[in-house]
Parts: sequence; C-alpha cells; structure tokens
Amino acid sequence: MNLFGLMETSGSAMEAERMRAEVVAANMANAETTRTADGGPYRRQEVVFAANGGDAGFLDAMNGSMNGSGNGSGTDSMNAATANGGAGVGSASVGIAGEGMPGSPALPPLLPLPGAQNVAPGVRIAQVVEDPSPPLKRYDPGHPDAGPDGYVAYPDINPLTEMVDLMGATRAYGLNGSAVQAEKGMITSALEIAKT
Amino acid sequence: MSMEIETQLSDQIARYLDLAASEAKLTAANMANVDTPGYRTVGMDFEAEMRGAMDDVDQGRGPRRVRVTDVDGLITRPDGNNVSIDRESLQLAEAQLKFRTGVALLRQEYQRVMDAIHADKS
Repeated sequence: MNLFGLMETSGSAMEAERMRAEVVAANMANAETTRTADGGPYRRQEVVFAANGGDAGFLDAMNGSMNGSGNGSGTDSMNAATANGGAGVGSASVGIAGEGMPGSPALPPLLPLPGAQNVAPGVRIAQVVEDPSPPLKRYDPGHPDAGPDGYVAYPDINPLTEMVDLMGATRAYGLNGSAVQAEKGMITSALEIAKT
Repeated sequence: MSMEIETQLSDQIARYLDLAASEAKLTAANMANVDTPGYRTVGMDFEAEMRGAMDDVDQGRGPRRVRVTDVDGLITRPDGNNVSIDRESLQLAEAQLKFRTGVALLRQEYQRVMDAIHADKS
C-alpha cells in the first residue's frame, strides 16, 4: 500500500487535461487556417479520454485477482471509448495522437472485480479525433486559396464550443491539482509518525 | 505481563490508515476519470472493511484486500460517465481527515510506549 500511487493517478489526469487544453488552443489558433500539410482547411480536433490500466501493483493490491496475460485489451477499451465518446465525431486519428501518447498499446488490461466495475487508476488520451463536419464556405474570390467558384473553405470552429471545452479542462485540471495537494498533505502527515 | 512495542491498538490504527489510503486512492481514480466516457464511479464500504480489519487483528490475520464496489445513486451523464465532482471532493476530504486522525492516534500510541520506556528517568 503506497501513497505515491495516488499522485500518479492524479498526475495522469493533469497530464491528460493539459493535453486537452492544448488541443483546444490549437483549434482556436487555427480558426482561420485555410492551408494545412494535408491540403484543405484546418480541421477541428478533439481528444478522447480512456480509463488507464495504470499501476498494476496497486490494482493487484486493490482487487486481488489479476486476469493474467497482458493481451491487447488496451485497444478494445480504446475502441469502446471512441464509440461511447464520439458523439458525431469520426474516428480519424491524427498527428498529435501518435507522438504525444507514450506506449498506449502496451497498457495492462483493465481488471474485472468481484461485484464491481473495473478500477482504473488514472486516465490517458486514447485518441485525438478529427471533426468530420464540412468546412465553412466564405465568398472571397481574391483569396489565394479560393476555389474556382470563388469560395474559400474555412475551418468550422465555434469559439463558444472551444471555450466551454477549455473551461472543462481547466476545472478538471484544478480538481486533480487539489487532489495532489491533499495527497501531499497525507504523505507529510504520515512522516510525522516518525517524529517524536 | 509482556511488553510489546507493537500494541494491538497500533495494529488496529495501522489497518485504519491502510483503509483511509485505499479510500483516497479510489477517490483519486474517480477524479482522474471525471471526463472519461463510460467510466463508472467506484467506491468501498469503509465501515464494513473496518469491521473486517478489526476481526483480522483479533484473529491475528494479515491485512486483506479491499472490496471495491459500484456506487449507486449518481446521475449518469449522456457519455455514460457518472462521476460527481462534489461527491469526490467530499470523499477526498473525508479520507484525508481519517488519515490524519489515524496518524495522530498512532503517534499518541507510540508516545505512550515511549513514555513507558523512559519511565525510570523522570
């Protein structure tokens, strides 16, 4: 039973929420971008969270039965998360997903518990998905990226949606930050036992 | 009468600390997954676990694993997640206070044994 596992759990959430805020920032920064490496306008991106397998030692201590072999149920949970979370979002995985997330395929599987759901300490970003909605067309024949009809394709980014998402990320970040604070307090107080 | 550094009470308080840490751990897991689609809040029955732990101490058994349960009565959001930030904040504060209480009790218990050791000096 170690108290530091707690910090890891909250830390993973802070990392994920910061990533979410970064994606929101990228969306807002590229709200008027008409040129990308893939051609066409910038497309809005969104993160998909998945519960993390996390610290196997903690899970073992917590639940008793390990369901053994670390087979690829990481991808299963990832797919499930995409299916659940992707309200109107296609599952086209894009650039940021690959490089930012270390070792998602090697994650330990979630553990079945007696009489309970799986305990998932921590969270990770399973995917960054692209919004499949069509770009906005604006008539501007003088623009270098204008089509033959004189319309320019702009990304369909709503600042309101982005701000709400950013606020959610900030709040969740703060929540987990105060959890870390609480855990630090517990560890510090545990040290007091030794002081007499 | 034999003198022990580890008293039964200190053993019991140690179990109490373990359970408080487990409770904090579950809460941290819930907090971390506050935005994970489909995640369900997990919890534990602290009183039942504590009763079991007291029995274990009496019988001289080692610590057992905590039974993790589903938490009822929470509102599920459209993405299938039912983590309530308010509940988790309260749970964490509670677990933290329990832990601090346990630490204070354990210190006092060790101090008592310490006082007995140094009883001849005063």
